[in-house]
Amino acid sequence: MLDRSAVGRTTPPTLNEVERGAIRRFAEALGDYNPIYFDAEYARASGYSNVAAPPSFPISFAAGSDLRELVGVPARNLLLGEVSFEYERPIVAGDRLLVTSRVSEISDRPGPAGRVEVAVIEDEGRDEEGQIVFRARRSYVVRATREV
Amino acid sequence: MPPRKLYFENVRVGDELPAMAKAPIDRVQLARYAAATNDYNPLNVDEPAAKAIGMPSVVAPSTLGLGFLGQLVTDWARGGQVKKAQARFTRMLWPTDTLVCKGRVSDRWGEGGKYFVELDVWAENQKGELVVRGTVLLKVFYSFEDETRFRTGQPPLIVTVPRQSILAAPPPPPPPRPSVGKGKPKPGKAPATKKPAAKKPAAKKAPPKKAAKPATKASKPAKKKK
Repeated sequence: MLDRSAVGRTTPPTLNEVERGAIRRFAEALGDYNPIYFDAEYARASGYSNVAAPPSFPISFAAGSDLRELVGVPARNLLLGEVSFEYERPIVAGDRLLVTSRVSEISDRPGPAGRVEVAVIEDEGRDEEGQIVFRARRSYVVRATREV
Repeated sequence: MPPRKLYFENVRVGDELPAMAKAPIDRVQLARYAAATNDYNPLNVDEPAAKAIGMPSVVAPSTLGLGFLGQLVTDWARGGQVKKAQARFTRMLWPTDTLVCKGRVSDRWGEGGKYFVELDVWAENQKGELVVRGTVLLKVFYSFEDETRFRTGQPPLIVTVPRQSILAAPPPPPPPRPSVGKGKPKPGKAPATKKPAAKKPAAKKAPPKKAAKPATKASKPAKKKK
């Protein structure tokens, strides 16, 4: 069961240093060998200030927020149904981002096999000057388990 | 070699992105992705743990499919900036799944020297089933000249291009619901069957805005009598 009182719960800002090696490993794990993720010179010629992070890279920040602590259900019982990102500017190697996650919604809605519980978490990444760099929204449903 | 770029002037609504086939997802990839995202959900990396809760094997994180769509878009939109991306996961991803990622330009517009391209993107598995679909908003330069102006600190090239999807297919106005307010305060037994019958024709006649009000007023009493 999701914690109904979780709405509004916010994690303290976590510093995420965007390292070149982390970008490289993320791109390699996807099997994406675009030089903008590996070669700073190529990235600059493509309009980035340094090696760029793949669009879904903020996923790796989100792992810092413990879902059980946030919504009362551990990650293995949650299914990611929908996700969205908004970028003020591209994330590049060398960025130091302060990321916070906030529970914005706990609800239930009708599903094919009865009602399903939904938790929505909004993440926000700011640079050290406080400028917003990205926003993300993750929408989870509670996985039907055998105990239920 | 300087990277080739995608410019607004070369993009048309309806253009298809070259389909991108990914290698089959395997457990080594899941291990690498877990490390890269620092997310060691046992369902993604621990086979006995996944089987213990009744799954046939470990499952791939849905966001892996999202990463593939990111690759599809970034490969195509060389030099374009992803401003927004949204995805809905419609099916679980499993080891051995082989995804094909596809996309299409759904809209483009230019305003005040800024140029945007909107894409519909999706991925299918080897059975042709949709596993993830979404939309992406890209910001691009209008042309090589526009980019050169930006790099040399000059004002952007201004070409006003209205959203094409709006020109092509105006979204129908939401059907008005004037009858709901009148009917609801009194939860009587009799009107229950009559109300839906009266509402449907009213909604159909609504789109021509000028005629909407007289038409609904005229049609409602007529329907009730029948």
